[in-house]
Amino acid sequence: MLFPLEAALKADAKTVEASGDYDIVIVGAGISGAIIAQQAVEAGKRVLILEAGTGANSTLAGYDDLLTTFYSAASKDNQSPFPLNANAAMPRSPQLRKLQAGETDSSTYIVQSGPYVSDTTYTRIFGGTTMHWEAKTPRLLRSDFKTRTNFGQGLDWPLSFEEIEDDYRLAEREIGVSANVEDQQYLQQTFPDGYVFPMRGLPLSYLDQQVNKGIEGTNVELYGKTYPLKVRPYPQGRNSIPNPAYDGGKGYRPIGAVNTHQVEEGGRCQGNTNCVPLCPVQARYHSGKTLAKAFAANGKQGGRLVELLSQAVASRVDIDPESGKVRSLEVKVYKDPASPAHETITVKGKVFVLAAGAIETARLMLASGLRSTSGLVGRNLMDHAYLLNWALMPQICGTMRGTSSTGGIVDLRDGPFRERQAAFAIDIHNDGWGWATGAPTSDLLELVDDRNLHGADLRRGVIDRVSRQLLLAFMIEVMPVESNRITVDPQYTDALGNMRPILSFTVPEYTMKGAAYGRQFARTIFARLGAQDHTQYDPSDFGYVAYERQGYAIRGGNHLAGTHIMGTTKTNSVVDKNQRSWDHENLYLVGGGSMPTIGTANVTLTLAAMCFRSSRDILKTLH
Amino acid sequence: MHSYSIRTLDELKEFLHRAMQLEHATIPPYLTALYSIKPGVNQDATQVLRVIVVEEMLHLTIAANILNAIGGTPDLTRPDFAVSYPASLPDGETDFKVSIQAFSRDALATFLKIERPAQRPEHLAGKGLIQRKASLHTTALGGHPMHEDLYFYSIGEFYAAIVEGIKYLEAEAHRAGTSIFTGDRSRQITSEYYYSGGGELFPVTDLKSALEAIELVIEQGEGDGGGIYDDDEHELAHYYRFEELVEGRYYQKGDQPGHPTGPQLHVDWEGAYPIQQNLKVNDITGDRELLEATIAFNIRYGEFLQLLTRAYNGQPSLLLEAVPIMFEFRNMILELIRNPLRGYPGKNGSPTYEIPSSTKQPAITRQAEVTA
Repeated sequence: MLFPLEAALKADAKTVEASGDYDIVIVGAGISGAIIAQQAVEAGKRVLILEAGTGANSTLAGYDDLLTTFYSAASKDNQSPFPLNANAAMPRSPQLRKLQAGETDSSTYIVQSGPYVSDTTYTRIFGGTTMHWEAKTPRLLRSDFKTRTNFGQGLDWPLSFEEIEDDYRLAEREIGVSANVEDQQYLQQTFPDGYVFPMRGLPLSYLDQQVNKGIEGTNVELYGKTYPLKVRPYPQGRNSIPNPAYDGGKGYRPIGAVNTHQVEEGGRCQGNTNCVPLCPVQARYHSGKTLAKAFAANGKQGGRLVELLSQAVASRVDIDPESGKVRSLEVKVYKDPASPAHETITVKGKVFVLAAGAIETARLMLASGLRSTSGLVGRNLMDHAYLLNWALMPQICGTMRGTSSTGGIVDLRDGPFRERQAAFAIDIHNDGWGWATGAPTSDLLELVDDRNLHGADLRRGVIDRVSRQLLLAFMIEVMPVESNRITVDPQYTDALGNMRPILSFTVPEYTMKGAAYGRQFARTIFARLGAQDHTQYDPSDFGYVAYERQGYAIRGGNHLAGTHIMGTTKTNSVVDKNQRSWDHENLYLVGGGSMPTIGTANVTLTLAAMCFRSSRDILKTLH
Repeated sequence: MHSYSIRTLDELKEFLHRAMQLEHATIPPYLTALYSIKPGVNQDATQVLRVIVVEEMLHLTIAANILNAIGGTPDLTRPDFAVSYPASLPDGETDFKVSIQAFSRDALATFLKIERPAQRPEHLAGKGLIQRKASLHTTALGGHPMHEDLYFYSIGEFYAAIVEGIKYLEAEAHRAGTSIFTGDRSRQITSEYYYSGGGELFPVTDLKSALEAIELVIEQGEGDGGGIYDDDEHELAHYYRFEELVEGRYYQKGDQPGHPTGPQLHVDWEGAYPIQQNLKVNDITGDRELLEATIAFNIRYGEFLQLLTRAYNGQPSLLLEAVPIMFEFRNMILELIRNPLRGYPGKNGSPTYEIPSSTKQPAITRQAEVTA
């Protein structure tokens, strides 16, 4: 697919301000905004997308510049490809430090207070967090939609699995999910007869297979119920082999990617293992692929249906006090990421969609003084709690081959135990201990500095160390708690004078109980594999949490949700089941922030599915 | 020209083998030029070369699909398959040499010739094949398989002869109540194994799909004769992509051939490793490590051609195993071209593409076998 040159050019702030005829104004070019833009353009609607980042990576050259930045970065954290931009700042984990209880750190973009510091991140750039996501795409389980009814925990969704099922399939098509139905039919997950995913499942890595060999056929017991152990493949938002049986035998054509002038990218996954933060060949889906289709529609229809205004940070939602409807958006447009100089424009449209991610959307609402009738804007902040466990396998397992994660142990995603403790899904990391220890750099430094190895001995030493590394990342369920929240305060502002998010988060006891069990579970697995446990949690870790006389380092999962929660009435929620604001009828708050629970599924597929639903509702209101 | 037309199925198979040989012969020069580019420079040139080399692999596979469709057995391990460089390609009434060399103005000039749309001038219309003396030591691509001193005016005419042959033989077969498309469908390589970039792989099962397949190969190379883009208006032909690099400017829609008006692009003509042109294993002396690495690459390349042969003979899924081998090639080539070549001051090593099974025999023997 060609990414037309004219569409990649930035829209002009003056023209945008003068133009009063946008059907839809979307804040954010991540997957939510991209899907809604694409659906609207298909229906012939005029769309403006406001993007806080520079938009440079909407071209292949710009995308490749991000790769160059990543390759040359000393720290390979999940935001390392994305240049510093004080006008659209984002959280970066290397900047974090341990905080004592009551101590506040406002030196980083997100203001946090101790004792627990979250290293959760999201990416403020064209493509949003899909520019750095790992692209695992499991669906929520049926029971995840009714955790209050089923387990007396969390909240029930106003939507059932059955109501969202068709949209899951649309989302799987849009992302181009690679998976085999037969691998995903565990824990009562069902698929319609004849359904196949757009692409065939990616194979399990050699490491996955070695782990499976050690555990398959064994069980664990939990509160009297037996759970079988097995490594199962994850569905993935990255290109494998298109399934010719897809869509009733029509097959699936992988989507291209960001593009400049006849140079097409978006190839097959080659197992580069740096999916996070950035796939070098764009095999991994990012919302630029959906936007490329939306931009291509410009040419087809003659006029320009969709415009992208980059370097445009929405700063206030302006409400008409009489109707409660959004009148306009105040937007700060900066000229240069290196300077806070900006002009402030007013953008008008019929429908407004805030798709800036769970934290930024809530931040913008709160900065506009819009807490909603329920008072729940910014509250119920959720993010999966990750507990890392790492060990050395007795044999060489080929660690560092394959995509970041191809398989996991997922049979404890559901069960009656969820009345008492959080469920979890375990990722087997093909990229070794990197997340936990900084491997393989840390291994190299140790072998050179402490053991004076060089030449063949050093090569042998690295292979022996790195290719036996096993990291099990436990992704643990976190339920909505109103006190876990985002707030704003005029004393904390960014370069443009916008209020920054303040994050208050305590890992709920329900989750910690799951974490404590997870630690035991990991020990059991390591024992069955004959692997040597190297896990240790440092009390000086910024994410250290003490629970029942043990300590755990809890990492953020970047699966942000809950801050504009979806519900049945304007008093128990911020948005309805179409993600439309209860208080402002032409305003949609979309994305993870609408999710009442996150179960043990990475949030992107579900929030993408919800955006197809919202698109239909928006188009209905525009008729 | 008539007397040199394709009249038997065996002749057509031989032509299609020649087509595979021709499409494959462009891959080593393009791949070497691509990997010779120094890191951090020539981003645009890298992308252009990458896309083109990937499409040449598509063309090779399309030729194999057509050959399979008519019941042939593609064989990339035939002694004559991998050519010795420099190899010659037809260029109207004369020919030109294609070399293994670094990315440079000189290399680009050759690449433009490879992809150049060649129309006969009016006074030569209908004049038949070009007669040239076969050189003893150079593999001539685009020749007539049964007449060693006869050459097509252009690659386009070479493919036109195949198109005519397919049409003729299928019409003959049709009259006899049969078809030439008798190949086993399961031997076809389909879009599961190739995507991204322009063009899609589709099974060749009949006259229509065979002609479409050849059309795709010609259009991606030279354009469709009418304009710089293919008929879907979104893909620029290889010739014009190379021209963009020479001109330092991108084409955009509405442009006339030779006059790109899109954004500028920057080419650093010095931004490539100075590799020794058309290096041979025998030229490497006094550097055992480089010699061994060069031979190791050739052996691996030979194994790669064996793997492709098996993939094209009923085991398409083996193409997945070819993907990591392409990574190996990159690493092996980078090693060769970043090391100095002893006895050639200022020059570096290079892959030689002397494939073990074919290099044992001198060029003249290979020619003779084809004629026989």
